[in-house]
Amino acid sequence: MAEYDLTQTIIPYYDRHLVFPLLAHLSESDTFPVEQVQAAQYELAKGTNMVDYAVSLFQQLYADQEVPSEFAAKREGAVSTNERLQQEAQAVLDVIENPEVAQALRQDKMQNLQYLKEHYNVTLEQINALYNFGKFQYTYGNYSGAADYLYHFRVLSTDADLTMSSHWGKLASDILTGKWDVALEELNTLREAIDSRAPSALPGAFSSPSGSTSDPALMQLHSRTWLLHWSLFVYFNHPEGRTLLLETFLTPTYLNTIQTSCPWILRYLATAAILSRKSTGTTSSRVRHSIREIVRVIQMEEYQYQDPVTNFLKELYVEFDFEAAQKDLSKAETVVANDFFLGEFRDEFLDNARYLISEAYCRIHQRIDIGDLSDRLNLDRDEGEKWIVNLIRETRMGADAKIDLEKNVIEINRPPQPIYQTVIEKTRGLAFRTQALGAAMVRPQQQQQQQPQQQQQPQAAITTEAQPAVVEGAR
Amino acid sequence: MSRFFRQAGDSDSDSESSSEEELMSSDDEGTKPTTTAKPAMSRFLRTAGDSSSSDSDSDSEDESDSDDDDEAQGSKKKSRFIRTSDSEDDDSDEDVKRVVKSAQAKRLDEMEASGKLMDNALKINDWVAISSEFDKLIRMVQRQQNVAEPIPPFFIRTLTGLETSLNSALAKEKEAKKKMNASNARALTAMKQKVKKVTKEYENDVKQFQTDPEKFESDYLALVSTEAQPQKVKKVKKAAGDSEEEDDDFTTVGKGGKAMQFTAEGIYKNLQLVQEARGKKNTDRTEQIRILEKLLEVAVTNYQRIRVLLALVSCRFDNNSSISAHVPIDLWLAAQKEVDQLIAIIAENPAYSIQEITEDYDELAERSPETEKDGIVRIRGSIISFVDRMDDEFTKSLQNIDPHGTEYVDRLKDEKGLYCTICRSQALYEKLGQDEPLGRVVMRRLEHIYSKPDAVVSALEAAVAAADFTPSIALDSSNDITSLIHSLCTFLYRSHNSLLRTRAMLCHIYHYALHNKFHTARDMLLMSHLQESIHSADVATQILYNRTVVQLGLSAFRCGLIKESQQTLQDIFGTQRVKELLAQGVHQQRYQVLSPEQEKAERQRQLPFHMHINTELLEAAFLVSSMLVEIPLLASIDSEEQKRKTISKSFRRLMDFADRQVFTGPPESTRDHIMQASKALQDGEWEKCRDLIQDIKIWSLMPECASVKEMLAKRIQEEGLRTYLFTYAPHYSTLSLSLLSRTFSLSLRQVTSIVSKMIWNEELSASLDQAASVVVFHRIELSRSQQLSQTLADKVNALVEQNEKALDQKLGQATSWQSRGEGGQGDKREQTGERRRGGERSRGARGGARGGRGARFAQGLGNQMSGAQRNR
Repeated sequence: MAEYDLTQTIIPYYDRHLVFPLLAHLSESDTFPVEQVQAAQYELAKGTNMVDYAVSLFQQLYADQEVPSEFAAKREGAVSTNERLQQEAQAVLDVIENPEVAQALRQDKMQNLQYLKEHYNVTLEQINALYNFGKFQYTYGNYSGAADYLYHFRVLSTDADLTMSSHWGKLASDILTGKWDVALEELNTLREAIDSRAPSALPGAFSSPSGSTSDPALMQLHSRTWLLHWSLFVYFNHPEGRTLLLETFLTPTYLNTIQTSCPWILRYLATAAILSRKSTGTTSSRVRHSIREIVRVIQMEEYQYQDPVTNFLKELYVEFDFEAAQKDLSKAETVVANDFFLGEFRDEFLDNARYLISEAYCRIHQRIDIGDLSDRLNLDRDEGEKWIVNLIRETRMGADAKIDLEKNVIEINRPPQPIYQTVIEKTRGLAFRTQALGAAMVRPQQQQQQQPQQQQQPQAAITTEAQPAVVEGAR
Repeated sequence: MSRFFRQAGDSDSDSESSSEEELMSSDDEGTKPTTTAKPAMSRFLRTAGDSSSSDSDSDSEDESDSDDDDEAQGSKKKSRFIRTSDSEDDDSDEDVKRVVKSAQAKRLDEMEASGKLMDNALKINDWVAISSEFDKLIRMVQRQQNVAEPIPPFFIRTLTGLETSLNSALAKEKEAKKKMNASNARALTAMKQKVKKVTKEYENDVKQFQTDPEKFESDYLALVSTEAQPQKVKKVKKAAGDSEEEDDDFTTVGKGGKAMQFTAEGIYKNLQLVQEARGKKNTDRTEQIRILEKLLEVAVTNYQRIRVLLALVSCRFDNNSSISAHVPIDLWLAAQKEVDQLIAIIAENPAYSIQEITEDYDELAERSPETEKDGIVRIRGSIISFVDRMDDEFTKSLQNIDPHGTEYVDRLKDEKGLYCTICRSQALYEKLGQDEPLGRVVMRRLEHIYSKPDAVVSALEAAVAAADFTPSIALDSSNDITSLIHSLCTFLYRSHNSLLRTRAMLCHIYHYALHNKFHTARDMLLMSHLQESIHSADVATQILYNRTVVQLGLSAFRCGLIKESQQTLQDIFGTQRVKELLAQGVHQQRYQVLSPEQEKAERQRQLPFHMHINTELLEAAFLVSSMLVEIPLLASIDSEEQKRKTISKSFRRLMDFADRQVFTGPPESTRDHIMQASKALQDGEWEKCRDLIQDIKIWSLMPECASVKEMLAKRIQEEGLRTYLFTYAPHYSTLSLSLLSRTFSLSLRQVTSIVSKMIWNEELSASLDQAASVVVFHRIELSRSQQLSQTLADKVNALVEQNEKALDQKLGQATSWQSRGEGGQGDKREQTGERRRGGERSRGARGGARGGRGARFAQGLGNQMSGAQRNR
C-alpha cells in the first residue's frame, strides 16, 4: 500500500515538529521498513532542540555506537539560551499577569503599548522577547508553554510578520498538545488573517522552506496550501471537524488552491464528504451537495491525482460501474485504514460508502436481487439482508421499497413526480430571488464600498467553469 | 564595357571642344565626337560638360582635385596600376601635377584615364578593350604632337609596360591553349602588331626613357614648366569621395563611369558617403551594396569591419522599399551571413560593443580599445533589430512565395540558418548580459519552434549545437523538446515585458496542446487568465491566442474529450471566419468591401503556409464532435420549444440544410460525410455512421490517426446507444439490456453504465430491473395544460434570471449581492445558487465573448460588425 501513502507528499508542507506524529504513525504501521522510519525520525529530531529525544533515537538506531558529543554541547547551549530568554520574557510576563494591567488593556494595540510603556516601562523589544522565548520553547518540545507565550505576544505585538508567525506557531503548539477546540479557533483566526491580507503570510519562523518569493498572490497560495495541510490535524480530530473541513475546503478559493498546488488533498476532501453523508440538520447546502461538487473536481483533476478513494467516487457517480466501485472500495478501505488522519474513521467510512452505493443502486434499479446487492457491498448474504433492511428503514425511500423474500428481491416502486410538483419546485425560489433583487437595488452604495475588497482576492487558480473563448482578433 | 568607355572618351573630347575652343579648335573636327552619347553620359563627364557651359573654374577645380588626390593617395596606388615601372612613378606624378594649363592637363588626364582602363583590362585579359584604348591613346598622343607638345613620359611608360605584358600574355597564351575566345585572341595579335609599330615610331623616346627615365622626365618637365603657370585655385573639396573615386584604382565603376578605389584609410569616408546617400531618391541601392562589399574586403581592423557590416546589413534590407514585397533571397542570405560575421566579431572581441545609444563619436576616425577611455569601443547600431528584421523578412518571403512550389521548400531550408543566427545572437546577449534584447531574441527563437513537430525542432537544434557559439539554453541530451520549450518559456516569464510573457505563455500552451497534454495546457490557459485580457492585446497576439485555443480544441479531440473539444472549437466556428481569425486567409466579406489599407494590413498578418493549422481538419474535428454532442441531444428533446436551445448553431444549420436536400448522393466532401453520418446516427445505424466518419480522408493528416479513429468508433457506439434510447423510449415499455448490448456491440457492463448514467442524470425516466435485466421505462404523457404550465414556469425563471443579470451588469461586480442574499434558508437558497452558477457559466463562456466582440468591433474596426452579424 506504499504507493498510496501520502506521507512523503505532504511532509514538505508541515513544520518539523508536526511531522513527528506522522512518522510515529508510520513506524506503527508496516508500510515502510522500521529502520528507515527510525532513521527519518532521527534526522528530524537532530534539527530541533529536543536533544534527549534525538539521543534516544540515536541509541535505538545505532545501538553499538557512541553518542556523538555534539549533543551534549547542544544541550548545554539550549539550557543556557533557555534561561536567558526566560529571564527576558519573565519581566514582561510579570507585568502582564498583574490583574490591574489585564484590566487596563483594551482592543487597541497601539494604546496598550503606550500604556505599558508609560506605567511599567515595557518596550517593544521586551515584548519581542516573549516571542523569542515562545519560539525557543517550541523548538525543545514544550508546546503548551510556547502556546502561552505566543498568545501573550500576539495580544501585544504590532509587528505584522511576527504576529503571523506567532499564529502559525500557536496553531502548531495547539495541535501538538492536542487541544482541538483551541486549535480550531486558532485555525479560523489564521485563516482569516491569510484571507484578509495578501502579503507575507508564510510561516517564516516555524517552517523550514521559506519561499523568498515576493509575489503576494503566490505567497497567499503558499500560505493557503500550508493551511490546508495543517488543518487536517484539526479537522480529523475535532468532533465537528469533517463538516467544517467541507465548509472550508469547498470555498472557491481553497478549492482552487487544492486544484493548483495540492490535488492529493482531494483524498481527504472525498473521505470527509463520504463521512459526513448522514449529517443532517444545520448543515449548509455546500456540505449537503459536497459529493456532487467533489466528483466534478475529481474528474477534472483525474490526470493529476487519483487514488482508491477518489476512484471509488468516480466509478460510483461518473461511470456508474458498481463492480469497479466495489473493487475500489475494498482498496480504499486499506488506504483509509493506513492513513494517519483517516485511520480512525475506517469503519465509519466503510459504512457510509455502503450507504452511498446502495442509495445510487436503488435509485437506478427497480428490482434488485438482495444477493447481488450484498456482493456489491462486500457483505455476505445474511449480513447484507440485515443491512438492507436497516437501510430501507432509515432512509426516506422506506415507503417505496419492499423486500420480497420469496424471490429474494427488493422491489422499488418510485412513482414519477407529478407535474404540479415539478412546477412548484421550479418556481419556488422565484419570490425570494426577486426580493433579493429588490434589496440589492436599494443598496448599490454599500455595494460599491465592498467592491475593492472583493477584487483584492487574488485569483491564483483556475476558474473551473470557464472554457477558453476564441478572440476575434484577426482584424 | 568597351563601348561605354569609348563613349566616355569621345564625349570627353566633345566637352573639350565646347570648353576649350580657343585652344584646340582644329582637333575637334578631327576626332568627330559622337554626340549620341549624351544621354548615357556619366557623372564624371557631366561635371566636365556642365562646367564648360557655365564656367571654366570648375575645370580647374577638377584638375586641382585630381592633383590633390594624387598627392593624397601616394605612391601605393600608382604602383598598383603601373606595375612595370616603379621608380618613375613619383616623378611622373609630379609631372602631372605641374600641368596647369587646362587643355594640356585635360589631355594628360585623358591619357592617363585610358592608360588606367588599359591596365584594368590587362588584369582581366580583355585584349579587345586594350586594343581600342590603345588606339585612342595613340590618337591623343598624335594630337599632342600636333600642338607641338612633348610626348609625356606617361605614354612611353605605358608603351613599355604594355610591351612586356603583351609578351607575357602571349607566352601564357601558348601554354594554356583554348583559354581565350576568338575575338580576344584576335585583338591580342592585333595589339602585338600595333605595339610593334608604335614602338618603332617612338623608338628614340623609348630608348631614351629606358636608358635614363629620370632624365627623360625632367626634360619633359622642364619643357612643360616653361609654359605652365601654376594655378592657385584651391577650393574646398566638393566631396571627398568624389575626388577619390576619380583617380583611384578601379575596382568599381561608379554611376558616373568613375573608378572607385577602396582602401582601409578611405573606409570611413566611403561609409559616410553611403550613409548620406541612404534614403535619397536617386540612390542606386545595388550600387551602394557593392561599394560596401568592397569596403568590407579591404577593411582591416575589427572596428572597420564592424562599421562596414553594420552599414552593409542595413543597406541590404534597404534594398527593398515596399512593405509588401520581400527582400530578394540572395540578399537575405548574404545579410544573414554578415550578421553571423558581426556577431562572431563582437563575441570574439569583448572590447567592442554595439549599442543603440552611444555618445557621439567621430565617424571618420579610426577607433580601437586603446583610444577609448574605458577600453570599450561603443558603436552605434543594433544587432537585435537586424535579427528581428531578418526574421520578419523571412516570414514575408514565405508569405509571398507560392506554398505549393519547390521554391517554398527551398526557402524553408533557410530557416535552419536563421535559427542558428538567432541562437547565436542569443548567446551573444547572454554573454553581454543584456536582458532586454535577450528576451526579444529568445522570443524569436521560441516562435520558430513552438509549433513544430519534435523531429524538426531536433534538426534545428542539432544545427545550433554544431555551431561554435551556442546559447546556454539548448536541447539536452535526452532530446526532450518539451523541456527545451519549458526552459525558454520560463526564461521569458521572468522578463519584464508583459507582451513577451503573454506570448511565451501562449506558445507554451500551444506546445503542450500539440503534444496532447490537454489538461496541462488547459490549466495553464485558465490559470493565466489570458481570456480576460486578450481583447486588449495586439492583433498578432490575438491571432496567437486563437491558434492556441484552436490547437487546444484539437488536442482535446485527439485525447477523446469530445465535449471539451466541441466547446473549445465552437467559438471560433460560430463566427464563420475561421481562416481569418487564424490568419490563414483573407475572408471574403459579403456585404462590405475592405479598403486597400485594411487588405494590405491583413495580408501582412497572414501566417506562412507551413504554420497553418489545417482548417479542413479543424472543421472535421469540430463537426464530428458537434455531431456526437448534438445528435443525442436532438433526440432527447421532444417539443419544438426546447429545440431552440441549440448547442452548436453552425452544426445545426448544416443539418437543416442537409435535411432539405431532396436527393443525397454518395458523400464527397468532409461535410457530406459528417452530415450523412449524423443522419445514420439519428436512425440508430451506428455502423454506417462509423464507416462514414472513418472514411473521411482528412484524418490522415492527424497524428495518431488510427487511435483517433478507434476512439471515434467507440464514441459513436456510445452516443448511438444514447440516441437510440432517447428516440425509441416512448415506443417501448421495457428493453432488454442484452439486446442493446448486441445491437451496439458494447459489453453489458458498458450498456448498464450508460443507461445508469442516463437514469441518474434524469435524462431518461426509466429504471433497471436487475432480475430480468431489462430497462423499464416510465413515460408519462403530458397533457397540453401541463406542458404549458411547465413552459410558463421556465419562462418565469428565465425572466428572473434576466433581471439578475441586468442588475449584475449595473452593479458591475457580479453575484456579490446574491451571495449576501443567501442568508435565507434551505431549498430556496440552494436553488438560487444553482441557477446563478448556471447563468454565470453561460455568460462566461458565450455571452461575454460575444458581447465583448461586438463592442470591440464598434470601437476599432469600423462597420464590419453589421455584416458579420448578418452573416451569422
